[in-house]
Amino acid sequence: MALVLGIETSCDETAAAVVDDRFHVLSSVVESSIDQHRAFGGVVPELAGRAHVATIGPVLRRALLDAGLDPLAPTIDAIAVTSGPGLIGSLLVGLSAAKAYSLAWGVPFVGVNHLEGHLFAPLLERADLEWPLMTLLVSGGHSLIVLQRAPGEHEVLGETIDDAAGEAYDKVARWLGLGYPGGPEIDRLAREGRANALALPVSMTGNDYDMSFSGLKTAVVRATQKQTDVALADVAASFQAAVTEQLLRKLRGALEHYEVRGVALAGGVAANSALRAGVAQLANEFGVVSHLPTMEMCTDNAAMIGAAGLHRLRTSGPSSLDLSANPNWQLADVS
Amino acid sequence: MNIIAIETATTACGVGLRTADGVELVRVVNDDRRHTESLASAMRALLAEAQLAPRDITHVVVDRGPGLFTGLRVGIATAIGFSEGVGCALVGVTSLELLAHGAYDAGVRGTLVSCVDGRRGEIFVQSFTLDDGVRGLSEPGVGVASDVVGEWVASAIPVTFTGDGVDRYAADFQSVTNARVFVQPVPSLHAALDLGQRREPAATLTPLYLREADAVANFTTRERPS
Ligand SMILES: [Zn+2]
Repeated sequence: MALVLGIETSCDETAAAVVDDRFHVLSSVVESSIDQHRAFGGVVPELAGRAHVATIGPVLRRALLDAGLDPLAPTIDAIAVTSGPGLIGSLLVGLSAAKAYSLAWGVPFVGVNHLEGHLFAPLLERADLEWPLMTLLVSGGHSLIVLQRAPGEHEVLGETIDDAAGEAYDKVARWLGLGYPGGPEIDRLAREGRANALALPVSMTGNDYDMSFSGLKTAVVRATQKQTDVALADVAASFQAAVTEQLLRKLRGALEHYEVRGVALAGGVAANSALRAGVAQLANEFGVVSHLPTMEMCTDNAAMIGAAGLHRLRTSGPSSLDLSANPNWQLADVS
Repeated sequence: MNIIAIETATTACGVGLRTADGVELVRVVNDDRRHTESLASAMRALLAEAQLAPRDITHVVVDRGPGLFTGLRVGIATAIGFSEGVGCALVGVTSLELLAHGAYDAGVRGTLVSCVDGRRGEIFVQSFTLDDGVRGLSEPGVGVASDVVGEWVASAIPVTFTGDGVDRYAADFQSVTNARVFVQPVPSLHAALDLGQRREPAATLTPLYLREADAVANFTTRERPS
C-alpha cells in the first residue's frame, strides 16, 4: 500500500499528515500560529512565515511518529505539498521542506493546489460520496461553487467578486469589537439573536453563481451607525442570515441547473452552524447525499493535501525539484 | 565526514559540499532571489557530482542569517528537511561570520566590518578582528548604512568593509577615507564548510532575523486567506 506524506503551510497552519492510497488518514498534525495574529485582527505574513520555520521540523516528525513510521527510514512513497495559493513567505517553507525530504529519501514529490486539497477533504471522511458532486468551498480567503464530475475533475461555476465569506465575518467581527477570527464568535452570538433585527441587502452579481460580500460589511456598519441600540446578538444574527442566504441562494441555483448526486461543504466557514443546517436542508429538498465535514476537515490540514496529491501523482505525475510556489494559483488553472 | 553547506542569506543561492576525502565542490546560482527554485536542484547536482547518496551526508551546515528573510526561510527549511530526512547533524552559522572568515581566508587582516544588505535602508553589521584567527568585536546588529559608516569615519581606525551591504550602499561607503573594501557579495561557502566541520550541531535552528516581525506587521497585515 502506498503512503503519501502531506505538507501544508499556505497560511497560519503548519500541518503534516500521512495518508494511504485508499484515503485512510494514518496521522494528521496541525499547529496554528493564530494566537500570534489575534492582536492584529488578521494574519501577519511575516509572523506566519516565522512560525512555519520554527514548527515545520517537529510537526513533520510528529506526523511520521503518529503514523507508526520510523522518522529516519519511513516507508513513504511520495510527498504532496501545497504550492499555492497562499502567502508566499509561508508557502515556501513547506515547499522547501518537501523538496528536501524528497531529495533525502529519493521519493517523488508533487505540488498541490490548496483549494483542490479542500475539495478532496470529503473523500477522507466517507466512502459513499456520490458523483457528480456540488461543493460550496468557503473560507477566510476563498468562496467558490465548484461542480465536480469525478474526484479531480472540477469546474468553478462561480466565486466571490470581492471579499471571501470568512473575510466578511472577520471584518464585521472587528467592527463589532469581537475577537479574531470572527466566524466562531458571530456564529455563537447569532444563535441568541433575531435575524430580522437589521434590514441588510442581499448582494446581486452579474453571474448566476458569483458572490459578493464587501457590500454586506458596509451595510452592517451603516445600519449599526443609524440604529445604535440594536443588541450585538441581533446584529450577528442579521449578518449571518444575510451571508447564509446569499450562499444558499447561489447553491440552490447551481443545484437547479446541474444534475448532481451529492452536495458538500468545504473550507473553514463550513464549520458555521447556520450554513450546515441550510446545506443539509437543500440536499434533502433535492434528494441528494450531503456531506458536512468534521471541524478537522473544514479547516486547513495536510491530510487533504495528501489526498489531492495522490490524485495528481496518478494523473499528472510528480513535480520537478525547481517548482515555484504560486501564491495566486487559481483552481481553474489546475490540470 | 561528508558535509553540505547551504547559503541563502543574500539574493544568490549557494551550495557547498566537502567529502571525507577532502574534495570540495561549490555552486553559486546568482539568479536573483530564486532560492525556492534553485536550492534543492543545486544540492542534487553537487551530490551527483561527488558521487554521494543523500544518506552519505553526515552534516548539514546552514547560514541562519542575518539577511534576506525569504532566502533564510528557504535555506533553513531545506536544511531541516534534509537533515531530518537523512538523519544527520545540523549546524548553524551566521552570514556575518562567514563574511569575516571569507575575508580572513583571502588574507585580509586587522579590523573588519561585515555588512549584509538588510533592505529598507538598513544593513546587518558585525565587526571583527582578524589576526591569528577571527574574533568578534561586537554582536550582530542592524543599522542605517550612513550611521554605520559615520561611526567608522569618526573613529579614524583603518577598517575593511565586506559584504553585499557595501555594494548596495556604495555611495555611503565611499565617504570613508580610512577604509578599504573587500568585495564579497556572497558569504563564503568554503568558510561554512570549515565551521560546519568543527562546530557543535544545533538541537533546534531558527533564522537570525535581528528585526522584530511586529515592526513590519502594521504594513503587511492581510485578511486571513486560509
Ligand atoms: Zn484553506
